[in-house]
Amino acid sequence: MALFPLTSNFEGDFVLQLVPVDTENTMDEVAAAAAVHSVGRRVRDRPGHILRVRRQGSEAFLPRDMKVAEAGFMPTETVEIIWQAPAA
Amino acid sequence: MAVLNRMDWYDLARSTNWTPKYVAEDELFPPKLSGEFGLPLTAWEEYDEPYKQTYPEYVKVQREKDAGAYSVKAALERSRIFENADPGWKSVMKAHYGAIARGEYAAASAEARMMRFSKAPGMRNMATLGCMDEIRHGQMQLYFPHEHVAKDRQMDWAFKAYDTNEWAMIAARHFFDDIMMTRDAISVSIMLTFSFETGFTNMQFLGLAADAAEAGDHTFANLISSIQTDESRHAQIGGPALKVLIANGQKQEAQKRVDIALWGAWKLFSVLTGPIMDYYTPLEHRKQSFKEFMEEWIVAQFERALTDMGLDLPWYWDIFLKDLSETHHGMHMGSYYWRPTVWWNPSAGITPAERDWLEEKYPGWNDTWGQCWDVIIDNVVDGNMAKAYPETLPYVCNMCQLPILGTPGKGWNVKDYPLEYQGRLYHFGSEVDRWVFEQEPERYAGHLSIVDRFLAGMIQPMNLEGALAYMNIGPGECGDDAHNYAWAEVYRALRAERKAV
Repeated sequence: MALFPLTSNFEGDFVLQLVPVDTENTMDEVAAAAAVHSVGRRVRDRPGHILRVRRQGSEAFLPRDMKVAEAGFMPTETVEIIWQAPAA
Repeated sequence: MAVLNRMDWYDLARSTNWTPKYVAEDELFPPKLSGEFGLPLTAWEEYDEPYKQTYPEYVKVQREKDAGAYSVKAALERSRIFENADPGWKSVMKAHYGAIARGEYAAASAEARMMRFSKAPGMRNMATLGCMDEIRHGQMQLYFPHEHVAKDRQMDWAFKAYDTNEWAMIAARHFFDDIMMTRDAISVSIMLTFSFETGFTNMQFLGLAADAAEAGDHTFANLISSIQTDESRHAQIGGPALKVLIANGQKQEAQKRVDIALWGAWKLFSVLTGPIMDYYTPLEHRKQSFKEFMEEWIVAQFERALTDMGLDLPWYWDIFLKDLSETHHGMHMGSYYWRPTVWWNPSAGITPAERDWLEEKYPGWNDTWGQCWDVIIDNVVDGNMAKAYPETLPYVCNMCQLPILGTPGKGWNVKDYPLEYQGRLYHFGSEVDRWVFEQEPERYAGHLSIVDRFLAGMIQPMNLEGALAYMNIGPGECGDDAHNYAWAEVYRALRAERKAV
């Protein structure tokens, strides 16, 4: 377990923000930590949606239960936090 | 005895180059300070300054300018303009003085470098006058705000700002250190006078003088108009230097310096002047939008100046033109949302009438920036103030030192421009900021942004209190909403109206 800084690029927000997470956090937990600084502050909540994490430039989301330690991020690397609509 | 006309003796009198016998030319003009362009003294003797002024003329004109500005100040000292001014206007003054006054004083040393180390005699003469200009600007812009310090602690930042680690001041210092404090005489002439002063001080001083007169602040309007007359003279130091460089096969080096300095100036003014013109200046006093002003005074002027000079438009010109509609909206939202970390009180500037104006000037504003403001407005109207302030740091660019931002809402295009250099991950706010870094990585690589300093444990405790202490923001100096959220009443009334229907 170790503190790990990431940079959040949250869909719909206007600025990158520093988000401290833990190497044991899952991608869902990373998304939740990023949401604290965007949703309800400058981005409206989207009920029913879930938040997914992906690397900048990648279309593929990282698995929701993947841990930060397993993702191979560099400290302060930018991750995109994207709204995913509920499955129809 | 008859006095010769100035033009009968000026060229001869200021041709002060000689052939050094006791030292080598490189000892008299060390390349690091004089410019490493490999051009001999004779090449620089072709430098032909467009603005020829002698010392006696300078003294006479400057004395008259000073007398004018100081007498307006003296006459209006009891007018209570400051006390009665719109709080948005006070914020304009505070932001301006803090960001500009001591920078002008520092510019005197950059001018002094041209005065001593330029190989061009004409430049040395112009820079002698320019150096005195900058001392005058520093002194005036410290003296004029001083009468307000007893009324408002934030006015103390006119003097204090440059000594602090406040984030916007780190950005200002990083830029001015790069273009004027750590460059050779010729590069200073290109980067400070041609690239920065020709266009951008025009905007700050002309645009703001018009807004000040509209706001009834004639002291401020006179002060900055008086300064601008000096700027428009010494800003011409760089042009002839560019001509000499181009004539001697140094176009590429000249172009690079222009491109670097223009971009940095643009970023700095997007945070300083953009919010002032489009959000702080009361709606009824706005002459032009920031974008319109930029297009008229900066874009058109630079396109002409660069072409006349034989230079190209910077490679990023299309990016720059696109950013004119976007960047400063983000800079405003950032400085508003992180308002405890600035030394002025940002004016939100988002009443329904102001939003109509923004939508007219920037079609799509409501679907992008407006979407974020809707959430901020709801929090303020609901009294949910905890959500109306930040709890983390915005990530800042390792070049311009300003937040990395883009367009939000339906036009979401925010992007990081990362670069791994010698094991460290750097973040940039644009392709251009990253390009500047790549031109000379070792020049910039060691600098720590405010976020880097936070992560390195230099800011303790690691919370807002620790950040404010690190930024030297004392009690009573923290920024907050300029109008104490009075604008929220309009939205409360609208809600009540909707409920009644």
